[in-house]
Amino acid sequence: MRKKIFFLNALLAALLVFVNMKLKAQTPSDALMMESKQACVLLDYNFSSFNQYWEGELKRENQTIATVQRKSIMPMMAVGILDDLNVFVGVPYIKTASTETNGGKFAGVSGFQDLTVALKYRWLDKDLNKGHISSLATIGFSTPITNYLSDYMPYSLGFGAPELSYRLILQYETNSHWYLRGAGTYLWRGYTEAERSYYYNNGSYYTAWMDVPNAMSAEAVIGKWLFDKSLQLEMAYFGLRSLSGDDIRPYNAAQPTNKVNIDRIGFLARYYFKPIEGLGVVAYHNQVINGRNTPEMKTTGIGITYFFNFLK
Amino acid sequence: MKNILLLSAVLLALMLFSCEKDLPTYYEFQGYEFASTDPNGGDWTPILINSGDEISIPTPTSITSSEYQQELEDLKLAIRQMTTEEEEAVTYWTQNPIVRWNEIALELIAKYNLIPGPNSDGTYTLPNPTNPSGPPAFPFAHPPYAIRALAYLSVAQFDGLISAWHHKYTFNRSAPFTQDETIVAAYLDNIIPSYPSDGAVIARTSREILTAMFPMEAEYIAEKEAEHLRCLLLSGANVQSDIDAGVIIGDAISISALERAASDGMKNAQAPKAVSDSIAASALDRYGWVWINQELPQRPVGLTPLYGKVKMWNVENVEDTRPIPPPAIGSPEYNEDVRILKDYADNVTEETRSIANFWQDGLGTYTPPGHWNDIANKYIVQYKMNPLRTARTYAYLNMAMMDAGISCWDAKYYYHYPRPIQTIEGFKTIAGTPNFPSYTSGHSVFSAAGAEVLAYIFPDEAATFRVWAKEAAISRVYGGIHWSFDATVGTQQGIDVANYTINAAQNDGAN
Repeated sequence: MRKKIFFLNALLAALLVFVNMKLKAQTPSDALMMESKQACVLLDYNFSSFNQYWEGELKRENQTIATVQRKSIMPMMAVGILDDLNVFVGVPYIKTASTETNGGKFAGVSGFQDLTVALKYRWLDKDLNKGHISSLATIGFSTPITNYLSDYMPYSLGFGAPELSYRLILQYETNSHWYLRGAGTYLWRGYTEAERSYYYNNGSYYTAWMDVPNAMSAEAVIGKWLFDKSLQLEMAYFGLRSLSGDDIRPYNAAQPTNKVNIDRIGFLARYYFKPIEGLGVVAYHNQVINGRNTPEMKTTGIGITYFFNFLK
Repeated sequence: MKNILLLSAVLLALMLFSCEKDLPTYYEFQGYEFASTDPNGGDWTPILINSGDEISIPTPTSITSSEYQQELEDLKLAIRQMTTEEEEAVTYWTQNPIVRWNEIALELIAKYNLIPGPNSDGTYTLPNPTNPSGPPAFPFAHPPYAIRALAYLSVAQFDGLISAWHHKYTFNRSAPFTQDETIVAAYLDNIIPSYPSDGAVIARTSREILTAMFPMEAEYIAEKEAEHLRCLLLSGANVQSDIDAGVIIGDAISISALERAASDGMKNAQAPKAVSDSIAASALDRYGWVWINQELPQRPVGLTPLYGKVKMWNVENVEDTRPIPPPAIGSPEYNEDVRILKDYADNVTEETRSIANFWQDGLGTYTPPGHWNDIANKYIVQYKMNPLRTARTYAYLNMAMMDAGISCWDAKYYYHYPRPIQTIEGFKTIAGTPNFPSYTSGHSVFSAAGAEVLAYIFPDEAATFRVWAKEAAISRVYGGIHWSFDATVGTQQGIDVANYTINAAQNDGAN
């Protein structure tokens, strides 16, 4: 089946990238790198909720689901293989449910979602007259590690399909520690298996496999380091566009085949405790300001990070 | 650096290549040799008309006539000029196109199976056949609507083909590909007389019935009919006069079917609130309980409270099939069911979840009767049924399921029994609770009736169908939206109702 071909390719991609990047990269999406033999553990908790969503382009509420809450806790680890090559592994545990009262009385779900493995490689790292420029490339792979049902929206833990991400990050930091960062990502998404043999996606589909649309995303960040680089503050815009897919039909449930577009803005603060070497905390908030077939999600999160050397 | 870029490009190309999507949108099968030709099929007992000869068509011209010879020449020219697109269409339609029209019906059901949402002031607007574009669009193709559409479609197709078979074996005009060796049949040779074209009967009948049921789709359906009729010619199976005669039968039988549909009581099924309230009050008087819609904002009327009054196909009096009353709320039997439901809800396993979802066939899908039509498709092809046998299978399958739905709806609104979320405090479900009373389960009654008819038609597969019907029934209990007695009594009810239809089938002359 095609899915198997995909898995082989994904594996091949991960291996080849690993071997071929003449082994000479904190999250797969920022510009921070750990040095070789350094590792970082991150524990992130976030809380999101929405009470409105876009059905196609129509923003609406729906008392059947009322307010949907989503809590996520994610342990993640990053390891510096080389000064310019980092590997990341993380998996979130997620719990979803509607608040009372709601008209649908649907049970929420909980469980581990997708395991993500990513490699980040810094291929440009250069001092300029008035600042510093760096560029990084990330290749990431994620896949569900539990048999959660993606076709149970809006409560499902995720879209239930493998994903390959190719990301390019470019950052410019001034000597006064202001920085601008841009990132563009191509997201290849595979199929998710529903538990029914028929579904409608602008026509009949006689299969349990649903095509999760591929997507492109872009991120623009402005930030500043303060207090001798112990406090980092940043504001970000994040946009995602599915490259295909159908719209949620009127007053009907969403499904993984939907064309999802997201425009989101956010704020983040990260603080490193100088007296305790390696310890940092992060807090963030973001919210979706416009979208298509997506919830108007508001997310607030906190995290704790700790760096250490795993080899001398 | 160059290596990495090159590598990335190659990898990206590989990924894009491997992400070519290949998901089936219809049931792909090859043309096959029919297991039988049923030369006496014209003598079978039809449903809507008295006999196959009731619809008349012109006597065909002789195959030696210049008119017919010209038709053959026209046919050969059309085949020579066939485009790639037309070739694909011929392959798609096959020589058992009832399967395709059934798929088109299922697609339209899934497209229109959307429950109207509330207006901003909390009221609800009902779909209106006099203003089909809405919003909300007409129809809301819920299970009672869906099975009725399928039943009329299949019954009309069956009667149309009985008539076609009568004339085929009266006139005995053989197919163009047997008359002229230079005409290559697109499908396997099946030696059935070609006048009138059975495919044309099916194309016209399907178009007329589906257009009446899904008025917004008139244009789409007309395009499908035109493509199908063209393919009958291009396949080498029919000349134009075969097709024209088939269309005459299709028109005639559609009129009979739609006349029955217009007066079967469906237009009153979605009762107004006053009637709905009095039905609920009667149940409360009689039993001391009443089902109440739990949605927000609350829907003022349940789904089709008077569907139980719709004219049945093979049951004289719906009350003959009404099941025993459900356990009283608070009785030991009821309390035991509360325990069972809580137990399933607290211990959802991968198996119970997948069964609940597999048979859910909820909003936006082809509904449970659609699921059983989908199942029938595969067996019809596997058993190499000819179009007449195929139409007969669907006709009895869908008549039995429509009767089952009517009987089930009679019980639902007669007993007006609450859903689990209404009476179990804080209860949560993994399936959506529908907008009608609980007892008995529609899935159980539809599925048992469907399975019984398929068991009659395909006796070697009977055990499989019955296992599936029971699984469909229990799936609603796993989903948390039905009591276990809704499912078990519903299964018995479905078997009971189906037996009326099977009895008719056993006496139609086809055995």
